[in-house]
Amino acid sequence: MRRIFTSAFFIQKKKAAQVGVTILIMSILLASQLAHAQTTIKGTVKSSGNQEVLPGVTVVVKGTTVGTTTDGEGTFSVTTNRTNPVLSFSFIGFEPLEVAVGSQSIINVTLKTSTTQLSEVVVTALGITKLERTLGYVTQKIDNAALTTARETNLVSQLAGKIAGVTVVNSPSGIGGSARVTIRGERSLNINANQPLFVIDGMPINNNVVGASGRSNQEADYGNGAGFINPDDVESMTVLKGPSASALYGSRAANGVVVITTKSGKNAKGIGVSINSNSTFEQVLKLPNYQNMYGQGLNGQFGFVNGSGGGLRDGVDENWGPLLDGRLIAQASSPTSNGFRGGDTRVANRGTITPTPFNANPNNIRDFFETGHTLSNNVAVTGSNDKGDFRLSYTNLNQTGIVPNTDLKRNSFNLNAGYNLTERLNVRANASYIKNTSDNRPSLSYGTENIMYLFNCWFGRQIDMNSLRNYWQPGLEGIQQHNFNYNYHDNPYFNVYENTNGQDMDRIIGNITLSYQLADWLKVQVRTQNDFQSEIRERRRAFSTQRFPFGSFRRENVTTLERNSDLLFLVDKTVNDNFSFNATFGGNQRNNKYDYIDVFASQLTVPGVFSLNNSRVPVEYAQNKSDRKINSIFGSAQFTYRNYLSLEVTGRNDWSSTLTLPNGVVGTAQNSYFYPSASLSAVLSDMVKLPEFISFLKLRGGWAQVGNDTDPYQFAQPFSPAQPWGTTPTFVESSRIPNFGLKPEISTSQEVGLDLRILKNRIGLDVTYYRSNSRNQIIFLPLTNTTGYTQVVTNAGAILNYGMEVMLNLTPIRRDDLGLRWDMNINYSSNRSKVLELTDGISNYQMASRYVSVEARVGERMGDMYGRGYQLVSSDPKSAYYDPTGKFVGQVVVSSNGRPLADPTLKNLGNYSPDWLAGINNSVTYKGFNLGVLFDHRQGGKLYSHTYVVGREGGQLIETLEGREKGYYSNPSDPTMLNAPEGTYFVVPGVKKTGEGQFSENTRRITPREWHSAFTLGRSVIEPAIFDATFTKLREVKMGYTVPNKLTSKIGVRNLNISLVGRNLLLWSKVPHIDPESSSMSGGTIIPGSESVAIPSTRSYGVNLSFNL
Amino acid sequence: MSQQKLSFRMKRTRIYILGSLIALLMGISTGCDNEFADVNTNPNIPNSVTPNLLLPNIIRSAANEIVGTGWSIGNIVIQHTAKIQFVNEDRYLWGNINGIWNTTYGNLRELENMYTIAGSSVPVQSNYQGVALVLKSWHIALATDSYGDLPYSEATQGKTGIAKPKYDTQEEIYTRLLSDLTEANELLSPSNEAIQGDILFNGNALRWKKMANSLRLRYLMRISKKKDVKAEMQAILNDPQKFPIFENNAEHAALRFLPTVPNQFPPYTYRSGSIDEFRLSKTMEDQLKSLSDPRITVFARPTVASVAAGNPVYAGIPNGLDDINALIYNGGAQNLSRIGTSFYIDGFGIPTDRDLNIAQGMFMSYPELQFILAEAAQKGLITGDAKTYYEKGVKASFDYYGLTLPASYLTSPGVSFDPATALAQIGTQKWIALFFNGLEAWFDWRRTGIPTLKPGIFNLNENRIPVRFIYPINEYSLNKASVEAAVQRQGADNINTKVWWEK
Repeated sequence: MRRIFTSAFFIQKKKAAQVGVTILIMSILLASQLAHAQTTIKGTVKSSGNQEVLPGVTVVVKGTTVGTTTDGEGTFSVTTNRTNPVLSFSFIGFEPLEVAVGSQSIINVTLKTSTTQLSEVVVTALGITKLERTLGYVTQKIDNAALTTARETNLVSQLAGKIAGVTVVNSPSGIGGSARVTIRGERSLNINANQPLFVIDGMPINNNVVGASGRSNQEADYGNGAGFINPDDVESMTVLKGPSASALYGSRAANGVVVITTKSGKNAKGIGVSINSNSTFEQVLKLPNYQNMYGQGLNGQFGFVNGSGGGLRDGVDENWGPLLDGRLIAQASSPTSNGFRGGDTRVANRGTITPTPFNANPNNIRDFFETGHTLSNNVAVTGSNDKGDFRLSYTNLNQTGIVPNTDLKRNSFNLNAGYNLTERLNVRANASYIKNTSDNRPSLSYGTENIMYLFNCWFGRQIDMNSLRNYWQPGLEGIQQHNFNYNYHDNPYFNVYENTNGQDMDRIIGNITLSYQLADWLKVQVRTQNDFQSEIRERRRAFSTQRFPFGSFRRENVTTLERNSDLLFLVDKTVNDNFSFNATFGGNQRNNKYDYIDVFASQLTVPGVFSLNNSRVPVEYAQNKSDRKINSIFGSAQFTYRNYLSLEVTGRNDWSSTLTLPNGVVGTAQNSYFYPSASLSAVLSDMVKLPEFISFLKLRGGWAQVGNDTDPYQFAQPFSPAQPWGTTPTFVESSRIPNFGLKPEISTSQEVGLDLRILKNRIGLDVTYYRSNSRNQIIFLPLTNTTGYTQVVTNAGAILNYGMEVMLNLTPIRRDDLGLRWDMNINYSSNRSKVLELTDGISNYQMASRYVSVEARVGERMGDMYGRGYQLVSSDPKSAYYDPTGKFVGQVVVSSNGRPLADPTLKNLGNYSPDWLAGINNSVTYKGFNLGVLFDHRQGGKLYSHTYVVGREGGQLIETLEGREKGYYSNPSDPTMLNAPEGTYFVVPGVKKTGEGQFSENTRRITPREWHSAFTLGRSVIEPAIFDATFTKLREVKMGYTVPNKLTSKIGVRNLNISLVGRNLLLWSKVPHIDPESSSMSGGTIIPGSESVAIPSTRSYGVNLSFNL
Repeated sequence: MSQQKLSFRMKRTRIYILGSLIALLMGISTGCDNEFADVNTNPNIPNSVTPNLLLPNIIRSAANEIVGTGWSIGNIVIQHTAKIQFVNEDRYLWGNINGIWNTTYGNLRELENMYTIAGSSVPVQSNYQGVALVLKSWHIALATDSYGDLPYSEATQGKTGIAKPKYDTQEEIYTRLLSDLTEANELLSPSNEAIQGDILFNGNALRWKKMANSLRLRYLMRISKKKDVKAEMQAILNDPQKFPIFENNAEHAALRFLPTVPNQFPPYTYRSGSIDEFRLSKTMEDQLKSLSDPRITVFARPTVASVAAGNPVYAGIPNGLDDINALIYNGGAQNLSRIGTSFYIDGFGIPTDRDLNIAQGMFMSYPELQFILAEAAQKGLITGDAKTYYEKGVKASFDYYGLTLPASYLTSPGVSFDPATALAQIGTQKWIALFFNGLEAWFDWRRTGIPTLKPGIFNLNENRIPVRFIYPINEYSLNKASVEAAVQRQGADNINTKVWWEK
């Protein structure tokens, strides 16, 4: 295909483009001079029912881009130079109308209310709007009000519970952290490639999570690309779920597309100002259930001298110490004879410590957290006339997190403007500038930098949080922190105030669209969009930090650019009364650039000066640039018969640079791939006579393919620099073996569905069944490292993904006469992904690993987690633990020393994906009042909790009281605790093997610490920490009142709405200690199914105020 | 302008627009292969390098590995140090210990690259080839002594399509590495090309030759129970011109770390609590005290409590106590010796020259060589005076730690060379001299049983001291048939199965 094109157009591509653009511009200039004599048409639009005037009706001169909307009095005025113009009127909830104007200058029309959803329009791929009834696939939409009233800082998180089939996993960081979205389950073996594509006004944006480069510790979450979009500027978010909905976006859309439409000034009349102010408070939703009976120490003993083993068990950071009964014990917080604190260990004349009461501080961790506050103010100015429109918006977001000294500030500017240069030529531009800064984003991961590592695992229950607030040792400010333990930990206040992860990001998203109406039925459109982001991250570590005794300073600069340009021909032709046709074809050029520079001063010379200039050692650095280009041509055509039968076919061919062999590399890789789709929609209710109670019935079905490329630079076996040895440089070969015969991935999918509305739309049911099969996935297949390499790039896999989505819309109450209405939307979805095959000789593939191993195994589900369990008595005669009597089968086998044995085989511990998801959204309106309540339910799926494991090791959690209800027993002459009183020991439930095939009940007593700190046998047995992740959340409550305009118009205010809002207010779950929505994050990947000492999630509540001027 | 003309012009304009846009579209559609080939060429890093650029990281990562795994496992199992907290390793609750495995195969790939690149350059760079063979042999010996049978003859061939290398027997591996070391000795010569990037010997080819031959003596001794190594050992000693070996501490194979991150002695970067979990082992304390050996002042610090009381004493803790007993032993941590000041720098301290001389990445030391020769002479494997070698070894060990050999030390009871107990004396002195180099000491102990070690009373391994690491769990998913064949041949994959040279 490429050959034919190149030979047919012998001029070089660049030249062709230049010539094309020049001609285009010249033509535009010329055409704009050819204006005709103009006529102005005025009129009023009313509703056919109550004959009331209709504001906001769209009025367009057919065959042109000229149009307007009716004002508050239902009047409009358009100017055209057409002879015999036709006006088309459209408004949601009403049937569209076309009126031939003839020579009239005043046209008054009435619109009929719609009963058959004839006019519901949906924004589909490439930003093209289509009638929903003609679509052969399902889409779902969220409007602005749902995004801005009860808001999330990360726009993406708003999808939870509102869209069937969408799973949102938020990062463990709080404040505007990343969110991982999957639609219809996991399809790709690359765990990062399962997210949908985000599109603004028809053009894709970047949704990267750029993680830490793997330098020691220093893991923080800086947010995902789509999370920075300002909700105030979003008109609506439409989710195109399956690939048939998204076949036109190619490569990245295999997992669905989230189409974001930004607000414009189109519906404004004259100049209007709208203001929205939102203020919410965030509090910790759930903290672990800590024990409050024993404090820090070991074997009931504790006495502070230097916090590193110099006192009585004072190097221990666990809670196996004395009873918290007020006894007098020297502590880090206790005063000394010279007026210092016990913990001021480096003060030369600290003096001797005066013991103070050893008491529980049940709320010490809760007290550490603050009430977070989010204030978001938006002001938007809109204006329009028949020539053009604009909307200018500014939003200021100011957020402080529940973790002290964490914050986020975001200033977003948006300008969206369109202008009809001529009747035929329209230009529209949209520009956003987002400035996002944070002085400190919380540190994550299991390690000293994360405060939850300390709090949930290794924090004395006796510690009074206030005693740590003054976190420097006197006279050693800036040099030596004060803490309760100097062996392993950092003072939590020191951690959050001195060891910061700052962010300073500038992002500009701009697009410009030029469209020209070549004929009544043909429009051509060129547009280009740049999404440019430049981000600086500065990580400071102060002197005396455990991991950085000399402090450190690291500066990363991340620059990303995504540029898309496309050229579209849009055909819309009504052939006759029965038959209409619309089509889009064109081409797209996409370019992604990425540049990452990381400079690290791992030790500083002078305390408190955070600059690379202050490095005590040679700075370490890394750089990574990448570039990717994809060229595409595509086309789609939709044939509609009698407005009830629609067939749409699409096709797209991509050429990707990432699948192009570099010069000098020989191989068979294909860089060109074509993929088609077809879908059919039939409105049965219009085709045949159905019973009266059925208002609408549509059947739909579709088949689609989507191709995908890979990351840049897969066709090389490079050598990467390692840290130099002093001034001696050194390199290491990449441990990934390239594959010079890579093929593009292809995912094929089918979906069928029905849309049924009965009893005059009081009940609406939408059901979709889908399945997809992804083949030739490009994966990095793990190799035994004895081959010298750890991965080989391979096309592998056949993943079958299938599921069901149900949307039920009910209107239990609709009393228009009373102004009362209750709507209920129920979303249900269930998805399964199965691994059909991987590649020759490979039966399992590790997708991610953090405590649990997430593996794809042939014949099993995607998202299955593997790990070890306890050894159980077996019914299998081949097992070493076979019980021929069957009496003990299934019991845990305990060794002679009283601990369970581990079963060495990796076991399937369950799947992290839910069995099903449901959201129930209620909305009640009564006159000006409205109430919205959203419940979100997740059924099934499993979660591993690292907090549970380590919190027990540290004697921190309530479970660890088991076996020490009556204190500790210690008698060196009685190592098996035969004389220990009840309540001072633990017996592991299970049996011990007494001979071949013989078992007896375990009676061996062990100390509670031996049990709780080793119930995972040194974190090698995972199964006891796996929980059912089922939960229900009261996700959202909104209560609002819109003040009637007649009350407020005197002060010039209209549409005044005040709402009380709350999010994540209540949680019901079986997972102990943590919010089951927690996750862990590793190197920029959110790992579902695995929680690792996450910052607690929050509940938020507040008020939203909006009005127009 | 007439209406007709205007309309014509407009039509023409539209045709222009349409035509030019279609041309533009065609332009977009042709993914110009040349341009795309450039776009997909990685600008960040090279696709080829010279051997000198590979060498530094190989040496550094090897040294980091023996220090790291030596610290966390080797020193404990051989009872140089003992744990007072998180005592699993000390009670022989060993899970997978993969560090040596991963570093070995990563470095074998780089060494293979180095050897190949040096071999294909014109003229052939035989010094780099020799260096590659020396380090390859050192690495695979470390790995096979730790795990037993291993992939070797088919290893590091991933690019040629061997995705599941077979496991060679340890005997085959030793045959190969000994012949590689012989070949390395022939390849290496000061008159060949200069060796750059050599952070171990600063480009001195003669020292690489000495390392090759000294290592050969080490490995011949290692397999001496299974093979008659007499002739080969003697041949090396007979011709010092052809087979030079280390002649003093200044020549031995030790990587001197840099004073600053990221090229520091690895434990300098650990948290103080993590370091302080490791204390002087009572086994080592008792041995040193019974010999009145001043090296205890380098290996350990006087206890905090005794220093505070003005009467500094050294005190160790028995290996293999359970958590509580380990923490309360002798009244707690303040009554137990921390490791020596050279092995960990407190607070904002900076390593001194002396510290850098002591805390090194030891590939093979001169004292160790002397003890090998002493043992060989005592066993009649070589001609020579065992006592002389033994005393040179002891003296060199004191020198290494910057200590003066006390005048009476070599004649004191227990040290004074006695042919009747010579093998035990040699082994004991070697064990002391290998302090903080626990892996090598462990390999040696498994062969000789010297010194006599007892497992800790709370051990969880049925009173046996482990003798190998288990294979990485990944091998069972990624190279199942091969590893299972090795296990079939060698014995169960657990920490108590003896490797070939020990059987």
